[in-house]
Amino acid sequence: MANVLIKAVIATLLLVMAQVHASNETDMTSSIPSDSNAAPFIDTRIIERIADNKQTMTIVDVGVLATRGVFEAKQRWQPTLLWLQSQIPNSEFRLHPFTLAEMETAVEQQSVDVVVTNPGQAVRLGRQYPLSWLATLNSKLGDGTHVIGSALVVRADSHYQHLVEVSGDKIAAVASNAFGGYLTMQLTVQNLGINPTAFFSDVSFLGFPVDAIIYQLRDGYFDAAVVPVCQLESMLEEGLIQQGVFRVLDDISPDNFACALSTQLYPNWSIAKTSAISATLAKKITRALLALPSDHAASIAAYSTGWTPPISQLSVDQLYRDLDIHPLQRPWWQEAAVWIKKNQQWAWVVFLFVLLLSVYHLILEYRFSRSERKLKATLNRLKEKNAMLEHAQRVAIVGELGSSLAHEINQPLAAILNYSQGGLLRINKGADASAITPALEKIQQQVKRADGIVQRLRALINKRAVAKSPCDVQALLTDTLELLEYDFQQKNITVSQSCVGNAVELEADIVGLQQVLLNVLNNAADACLMRDPAVPINNKISIESHYSDDRLILTVTDNGIGLTATSTELQNAFFTTKKDGLGLGLAICRDVIEAHHGQFSLVAAAPIGCRVSIQLPLP
Amino acid sequence: MSQKPVTGHEISVPVYVVDDDESVRDSLAFMLDGYDINATTYAGGPSFLDNAEIMLPGCVILDSRMPELRGQDVQAILTQCNSPLSIIFLTGHGDVSMAVDAFKSGAVDFFQKPVDGEKLVQAIMLAADKSVARSQQLSALLSYQSLTEREQEILLLLVQGKRNQQIAETLCIAVRTVEVHRSSLMKKFQAKTIAELVLQYGLAIN
Repeated sequence: MANVLIKAVIATLLLVMAQVHASNETDMTSSIPSDSNAAPFIDTRIIERIADNKQTMTIVDVGVLATRGVFEAKQRWQPTLLWLQSQIPNSEFRLHPFTLAEMETAVEQQSVDVVVTNPGQAVRLGRQYPLSWLATLNSKLGDGTHVIGSALVVRADSHYQHLVEVSGDKIAAVASNAFGGYLTMQLTVQNLGINPTAFFSDVSFLGFPVDAIIYQLRDGYFDAAVVPVCQLESMLEEGLIQQGVFRVLDDISPDNFACALSTQLYPNWSIAKTSAISATLAKKITRALLALPSDHAASIAAYSTGWTPPISQLSVDQLYRDLDIHPLQRPWWQEAAVWIKKNQQWAWVVFLFVLLLSVYHLILEYRFSRSERKLKATLNRLKEKNAMLEHAQRVAIVGELGSSLAHEINQPLAAILNYSQGGLLRINKGADASAITPALEKIQQQVKRADGIVQRLRALINKRAVAKSPCDVQALLTDTLELLEYDFQQKNITVSQSCVGNAVELEADIVGLQQVLLNVLNNAADACLMRDPAVPINNKISIESHYSDDRLILTVTDNGIGLTATSTELQNAFFTTKKDGLGLGLAICRDVIEAHHGQFSLVAAAPIGCRVSIQLPLP
Repeated sequence: MSQKPVTGHEISVPVYVVDDDESVRDSLAFMLDGYDINATTYAGGPSFLDNAEIMLPGCVILDSRMPELRGQDVQAILTQCNSPLSIIFLTGHGDVSMAVDAFKSGAVDFFQKPVDGEKLVQAIMLAADKSVARSQQLSALLSYQSLTEREQEILLLLVQGKRNQQIAETLCIAVRTVEVHRSSLMKKFQAKTIAELVLQYGLAIN
């Protein structure tokens, strides 16, 4: 304690001399902030050395891992530091409790001279920074040196019996890089053949102090908790929790091991020096630590039986490797870069292969799009040809029908003409009525024959039985527009469609109705083309379906040439205003719609065009 | 339609009607009878070719579309056997190319049904005249072809206006021989005067 007094005096001196860096140093036990800079310590040390000319005061900053909080850390380690101070003359050991992250920062910035930490972090730090191991803490448990592991704790009244049952449930742990608090358990789970990701799918990391995890488990925030071994027993001993409240699953602790344990055991905490202190001082520290009696207050405070020379940390290295997170392990991209450097020829082969593939892909893409265009063009041509063929076929059928009809009708007409001429000749010659009678009779016969032909033709036309079936007019409209799509596209006609009310099916002659729609739409298209081309209007046809309770009103409006004939003329079959029209379209439409008990009408549309209205009764 | 009957035309040659349609056949005959033309009707090409006097002058009204033998085929057969018959086509559905073919093959006229009687009768009269002329021409040609080589030589010289004496000198034969040949010539051409002989020769050469 004398050293403490000396230190206090020096610190006061410093305040006067430097007037800087004072606040943190006055209380040597206060923890330094995690983001503290290394510079103040070094500066301070130099100044201190200058300050005391006769006796150089050695100051050693000791970082310890505060697993159970700052207070507990001080309680646990301050006696050991005091022991060291007493063993090494003119030295002062300052305690700095750290979390895992703070410890790493401190080592990285060399703001501490000596670190005391768990094996997990010891290996992590040792593989990244120049640390020299001085001694390993000796425990009264087990073999003394291997005492670190995890316990999977559940509430005693929970239904869990084995580790595997916890998989996927709410688990609390310290941190993803905590050794006893998480990593050892992760490896155990992995070794059991369970996917750790699935097992810890609902894990929460609560950090230090570990006591908080136990409390949260007790309060039912979690189903299980991963804690460092002996945590439960320590808290029990300290009276923080009650006996029988918690259970540890799959306890595999050895006989001489007093704490419940769910995982393998790893080496105990170790102490290491950084490159900031000399080998001489390190030697002195090691000697002092090894000399610490097992029953000394400092040993007891550290839950230990003193210190032993450093033991192998191979098992920890293996754990990191098995979990694929060893600190010396390079990230995959670095590995890949190294491989590529080593095997340049293969890398080039792969690169060229990928390049070739890309080029090949582009070529394929290009060819594909080209053939697609070709295909589309061919399809269009095909449609065009198809339309032409259909037209030719219609013309041929009409021609054939007309020609045979003409021949059939012609024969009796010729005979009638002959008889009548012959009869007239005889009358003029003053022949007797009896000479004319047979001719007249024969004329009658020929008239009957002609009539028979007409009747036969009519029967032929009416032969198609009108079959009425349920018909969705909207679907029929879509089908019909599809038939005309190419034609309309060629003629630059846009069609718009709208539907008001609930579309319902009606009983109809589908073929007949489609004929009507085709005729009406074709008429509309023709009307658009017949309009004076100088008028700058886009050809448009709009189709509106209006469903009401008892009827469907379908209107087709075009902006074409409009009506040039009277409605009486439009009623007649064989009346046409088209150059090559037969004048049958509207007559057929009217017949079909009337067969459905509907109405068909044509009116002029404003300002230009024509509106066809088809009314059909709904069932 | 003609209201003024054409009468008084005596048709000296027979008129045939060939049509598969009975009513057309019958009505045509009825009408032609009104014009005092007595037509013989046949229901088809084969019966016409078998029964009609096809090697004598006459006029045939042919339907083009018939089931057994088409009108055109009948025409071809008649042409082949040098028939003097004149042909008038009467068809239910004719077109320009059909008419052109018919005229090229020597048809006198081409009508579509129904036909005006007046026009048909005029065509028949024309056809009858042509047929007679054709018949005469054919018989003159036959007569000419029946001449011997010597007779043909003498005929040529006669037509040139030479006398028997001159012919005998030209051909280095006796005048008597020329006279015998000349009488045979006159007989073969059924000519009474030298003028008739020249006329017949003209027909044959034409």
